[in-house]
Amino acid sequence: MFKNLVRVGLLSTVLLATFTSCEEEQQFTNEKLDAKRVEVQVLNDDLAKVRDYVPLYAVIAHRGSTFWAPEETEASWRWAREMGADYLESDVQCTKDGIVLANHDENLKRTTNIENVFSENVPANRVEFYMSLGFTRADAEAQYGRDMAAFRPFYTLSYYYAELLMLDAGSWFNESSLEQARPTFKATENGRFENGHIVYSNGLYISAIQDQIAYAQGKRLIRDANGRRILTYKVKDEYKGMTLEQIYNAIKAKGQYNAKYMDFIEYDFANAYEADPEDTGNRPGIYVEFKESWLNPGNMEQRVYDVLAEQGWNIITNDPGDQPFYKNGKVNVGNTRGRVILQTFSFDALRRANDVFKGRIPMCYLLWISEPAYATDIAYDTPTGYAAFIKWAQDNGAHIIGPAISGAPNNYPEMNAPWQAYMIRRAGMINHPYSFDSWAQMTKYMGYYNYGWETEFDDLLRLEIPATPYCTSSYPSSVPVYMDGFFTNRTEMSLRYMIENGFRGNAQLPNPFHAGQKYDNSQANVIVPDAVATLERLGY
Amino acid sequence: MKKYILMPLLAVFALTAAAQDFDTDPTLELENAEKEVKFTVGARMMADAALYHTDFTPLQSGASITDARIRTSMTYKNWYFYADFGFGGGKFAQKNIFLQYSHQDNADNTHAIKVGYYNDPAGSMARNTSLGSYHFISRPGSSNALGEGRELGITYKFNNDHFMAYQGVFTENAYNKVEAGFNGITVAGRYLFRPIATSNQTLHVGVSGRFAHLGGGTVYNNVLKKTLHLGQPLETYVDQDEQFVSADLDWANNVANLGAEALYHNNKFFARGEFLYKHVTKKRDSYSLFIDAQNNIDGWGDIEWWENANKLKNNNFFGGYVEAGFQILGNGYKYNKQEGLLGGIDGKSLEIVARYNYTALNNLTDGEYYNAGRGHYYANGYMEDWPGTGATSVGGGNVHSVTVGMNYAFNKYALFMLDYTFHKLDKPFLPNDKNFHMAQARVQFTF
Repeated sequence: MFKNLVRVGLLSTVLLATFTSCEEEQQFTNEKLDAKRVEVQVLNDDLAKVRDYVPLYAVIAHRGSTFWAPEETEASWRWAREMGADYLESDVQCTKDGIVLANHDENLKRTTNIENVFSENVPANRVEFYMSLGFTRADAEAQYGRDMAAFRPFYTLSYYYAELLMLDAGSWFNESSLEQARPTFKATENGRFENGHIVYSNGLYISAIQDQIAYAQGKRLIRDANGRRILTYKVKDEYKGMTLEQIYNAIKAKGQYNAKYMDFIEYDFANAYEADPEDTGNRPGIYVEFKESWLNPGNMEQRVYDVLAEQGWNIITNDPGDQPFYKNGKVNVGNTRGRVILQTFSFDALRRANDVFKGRIPMCYLLWISEPAYATDIAYDTPTGYAAFIKWAQDNGAHIIGPAISGAPNNYPEMNAPWQAYMIRRAGMINHPYSFDSWAQMTKYMGYYNYGWETEFDDLLRLEIPATPYCTSSYPSSVPVYMDGFFTNRTEMSLRYMIENGFRGNAQLPNPFHAGQKYDNSQANVIVPDAVATLERLGY
Repeated sequence: MKKYILMPLLAVFALTAAAQDFDTDPTLELENAEKEVKFTVGARMMADAALYHTDFTPLQSGASITDARIRTSMTYKNWYFYADFGFGGGKFAQKNIFLQYSHQDNADNTHAIKVGYYNDPAGSMARNTSLGSYHFISRPGSSNALGEGRELGITYKFNNDHFMAYQGVFTENAYNKVEAGFNGITVAGRYLFRPIATSNQTLHVGVSGRFAHLGGGTVYNNVLKKTLHLGQPLETYVDQDEQFVSADLDWANNVANLGAEALYHNNKFFARGEFLYKHVTKKRDSYSLFIDAQNNIDGWGDIEWWENANKLKNNNFFGGYVEAGFQILGNGYKYNKQEGLLGGIDGKSLEIVARYNYTALNNLTDGEYYNAGRGHYYANGYMEDWPGTGATSVGGGNVHSVTVGMNYAFNKYALFMLDYTFHKLDKPFLPNDKNFHMAQARVQFTF
């Protein structure tokens, strides 16, 4: 008996020793280790080529700014341009007449006075509006009935763009941001219907994407003596002579994507802008987000493609060739192949954008998580889940991942922890986290807190940054960097951080995507104007 | 006199502690011939140690008291009462408790009626075999994933040398603990034919069938939602993580099990195997759920659209195993005719065993896309925002498992078991988990 026990004991010991000597077993699910060992799909050469259209360490003015001025308006984008942001960021929605808006919310209650201008029904003057375009009352009233059937109060898709220009998109900001409020953000006259025609308001407007492009080009709106923008409109030539019913049927016949839209009106954007006298020469790009796919037409991506082409900003139809991102201390991104970046949270929009743009324009896939997971959220924020989303993004033509970051005031979920930034780098994709509001966030994601400390991700994320004359320190720094550009509401603060820490105005930056190569942004703007003084200079 | 004092004491101890259904003869038997009463008490303890090596998701190597039980029985004429209770893993658990009346007719046929809480006859041959009599540290995974365990019910069993017919009616839950609905109803049966049935050699072939109408569930948006869980650990008890092979089937309604089995043994050799098939039908009050979803401006257009985005599909799963053993020394393999099962090791012996198991809980629909970051399938082959996914695939995991082992019984009571198992997993949610190696040892003491 005793001998048997000894034999069994010895056998067990040998097996135990054999097993445990195989390798160090992982004792628990460690996402930091897993981030290094899960398989991550790497950008193919075609996508990597387009990735390089995007400037490194780009400062992306989130909605122009949500802090200093009413978001996604002439004020916020002109300000961001003059501050020296690399990109003017926006979101796209669609109006009833198919105009692509650069506006964040699909519901206009938050950022306009729409509840004061319109009721919860189809605008009362809609019939007169139709008649002002030359249609009979009976025809207009019949169309009014059809409009009612598809009406969603206060949603962009329920209104013609001309109607939306009756709204004041600035006064809400003065009420919600008392310290940044400015009288000039508020219209002095609301829009109205007068003598059978729409009269626009005279303040800040809901923007069309054409407006955003114009601001990026150093322009501003042309306004009349009363401060109202000048934007004429007419029935498109193809629908001239038709009744509204015939137009409705003709549009419907074009297919499901057009069924509830009446895009028969043409706006004269070509004569809507003038050179901005306050323009100092920065030419930022635009960074456009496709929003809720189920609220916008199914061909929204094609519509954006067409608008970009019309404006000469579609690099597929109008290749600007090799151009520098910066020239003579000015931003020049708007004149490069990286002038437009597309972005979305939407699975549908990403897939359709890939169908339309075919990965030939830089595309960012944005990440979000919530509990329970929303329809487009990443539900399993693990290295395995992250890798699955990275693959999905690449397979659908994305070059950039845009993770949420934590921190006040938004307190978003953390999706750009070092292990996540590491996986994005492993994929060869650009990391554009969103959105920055504080110096603390800048330091956190630029590796300041790990300065001097070795981290497990140093092999890919630690960068040696030579000092520049603009840096606060005259010594080179060595920091693990958890982003390649970022969305910010505080362009002035973010630019200052990048300049003072050597990430801007530097001819010797390491290029993390091309080992051994340098990235030169020494021609970038390195003087950050005062934010308030800039607003005042622009007339606000 | 002493025994009349000892019996109630043991009974009290048994009921306040815990035990199970082992088929080794209990050591402690108390008999009162005058009153025709026999009382038995037995116990069992299993302590396992396991070392795991995985590709990605770790399993917790270590040791554990995986089972500890006390059983008690009482026999009076044709009546037999049995109860055992488990307290392995530090938790008290109700195991078997039943009353059986049996009668042997003039043709040597046995008729038995049994009522109580015990193994479903169609739960699989493996699940009906006591773990204390098993020749591996764990039962095959497929029997855990697709078989059934104990249920509350009543059965009638007919048995003779060549045939066994064992069937009955059961409920879902022994304590009627259902949040909503009712306790369900199950009919099940196992049928064996023994062309060879001698004292040292048996061949049996059999089939089993089971139909369950699920009754209990939870209330979801004011609708009764019944969910069926299927799953298995990776043939180990030290870490019983089921995430690798498991599936939760929402809106399950009826469950049909079919099984086929064969067993052969002689003195030195045994081989047995089973095929298990499970069909799950689903049912849902779609209209109420659709109406409940009409609560915002993005509500659904019509119920057909909603149903298309939230499809239901009946599911089919299957699995099976083959086991074999060779006794190098010992008293030979024994067959329990009354139960239709192979017995455990009896007395000092040494055997080597091997098993192949396959469990298939992936029931995929052609053309659907899966994303591990979403944990969802998508019907159209790509991810979509809204509405729903429209997908019907179930990715519970397919696993191939191969085990080789050695068992050494020091005597009638003490047993040492050693198994090595390799699993090959295919589970879409865990794409990095492919290979699992595990070495396990068990010390078992039974009396």
